[in-house]
Amino acid sequence: MRLRRITLQHFRNIAGAELAFASRRQFFAGANGQGKTSLLEAAGFITALRSFRTADPAVLIAHGQPEAALACELDHERLGPTRVVIRLRPGSREVSCDGERVPRIADYLGRFPTVVFTAQDLQLIRGAPALRRRWLDLTLAAIDAGYLAALQSYHRALDERNRLLKLGGPPAELAAFEHPLAAAAAVLGVKRGAALAELTHCLAAAYGRIAAAVEPAAVGLAPVAPAADADGWRRIYADGRTRDLRFRTTLAGPHRDDLEFTLGGRSARDFGSEGEQRSLMLALRLAQADFFQARSGVEPVLLADDVLGELDAGRRERFWAAVGSARQVLATGTRPPDTGPDDWERFRVAGGAFAMEASGA
Amino acid sequence: MASAYEQLQQQLKQLPGLGYRSAERLALHLLVEKPARLPALVQALEEAARTVRRCTRCGNLAEGDLCVICADARRDQAVVCVVEHVPDLAAFERSGAYRGGYHVLHGKLSPMHGVGPADLNLAALTARLADGTVRELILALSNDVEGEATCHFLTQQLPPGGTVKVSRIGFGLPSGGGVLYADSVTLRSALEARREYS
Repeated sequence: MRLRRITLQHFRNIAGAELAFASRRQFFAGANGQGKTSLLEAAGFITALRSFRTADPAVLIAHGQPEAALACELDHERLGPTRVVIRLRPGSREVSCDGERVPRIADYLGRFPTVVFTAQDLQLIRGAPALRRRWLDLTLAAIDAGYLAALQSYHRALDERNRLLKLGGPPAELAAFEHPLAAAAAVLGVKRGAALAELTHCLAAAYGRIAAAVEPAAVGLAPVAPAADADGWRRIYADGRTRDLRFRTTLAGPHRDDLEFTLGGRSARDFGSEGEQRSLMLALRLAQADFFQARSGVEPVLLADDVLGELDAGRRERFWAAVGSARQVLATGTRPPDTGPDDWERFRVAGGAFAMEASGA
Repeated sequence: MASAYEQLQQQLKQLPGLGYRSAERLALHLLVEKPARLPALVQALEEAARTVRRCTRCGNLAEGDLCVICADARRDQAVVCVVEHVPDLAAFERSGAYRGGYHVLHGKLSPMHGVGPADLNLAALTARLADGTVRELILALSNDVEGEATCHFLTQQLPPGGTVKVSRIGFGLPSGGGVLYADSVTLRSALEARREYS
């Protein structure tokens, strides 16, 4: 898909802005705190109605305003020219597609894929397991309503079981909640396994292009899931009851899964250099884009938030080669790009206002 | 000390579905606009509070020991449809599609909301199952984690020997509704619950 026009109203510090994009490359330059990232945040919001910066949509509404609104006009592979309008009020969000309200978010997910590159991406390698699980969950939930439903059931059943564990609940009641818990765990396991196989395939290809390296990159569950189906999980939860009762929480299950990134079979976290880790995260985001495209048939829009400036010239060049010319990229930075494609449409951002600059390299 | 009017309004506000404004509207309606309605309402409340209780067999609302459904000899009491709440039973009755008996649990298991087996109308169901009169159990609890857990818990409480047939109602498309407007999760359960067509 291709973003043609984006209109923002009372979105963070942007009181009102309307930007039209003619090409597939947009660069937003300006000092910090002027609204560059807010624009990418708005563009990314259309994918899963979530911000990549915050879990609280209320902060997206400009201070003192009753609601924020964003409208995107796009060319879409399946839907043709499409206009998506999202209105955010405290505690509610309303989406319409070509003037028709979208009542169920599950139907909307995956239609408008975007992939965000941020400077925090390195934390996916170096940070806590919860960050990696969150990335995996968001990546899958954004294009698979069945995954989202299983994830929600899983966490609901987990909360109920954990509550029982705190109360020292009897085995029959624990078993009752282990039943839906195991069913959801099995769905998550199968879907995570299939997605990670696809993602590894895309990651190895993208890493090869960006790092010009021979050692293959991979991502997988570490350790591997201990059960393959609902009966297997049911046994694991039943066998873990005594231990879980002692710790008053569920210690095994997909909610404890962790991912490991490897380069040539060795942990990228422990053995990868700074440069290798950076390349790997860029490759991961490109792999995510390839994955979205393979699953949905829609070309995602890439949103690069202040990440390209940190790369050396060689990597930057290979990165652009890996992105290809078919994908739209919205990028931000404090300085205009010195390398890469020369067909950038450049915007200067100051105080929540956008001004287009004369084009040309 | 709150005035009598304020006390009435506060009592009304405690009722489900009523907020401050609705409570105020009801109070004014009864005291100012249509005060003639008040005695009949008070009488109906007192009468209901005195006579309405739970059916000793199924948990439905009853004015004697048994509710009208349990007392109806034409209904097949060997088939028992297990529901969460009385309005669920009423919904089945409105459909006219069911001629068996019911069992109302008055809730579903949810440790998060402080609901355990002791809070549900389970003892009466166990008693019904133990005396051997029940041939079939239709589980009509909601299609969520707590409904699923409660179904599982119930089936574990069945008398050994497997004489009772247990089924769960299907979840799928609404009648008269097309595939087009169903959400993807509903479509998935409709596919899973498909039947051979003849």
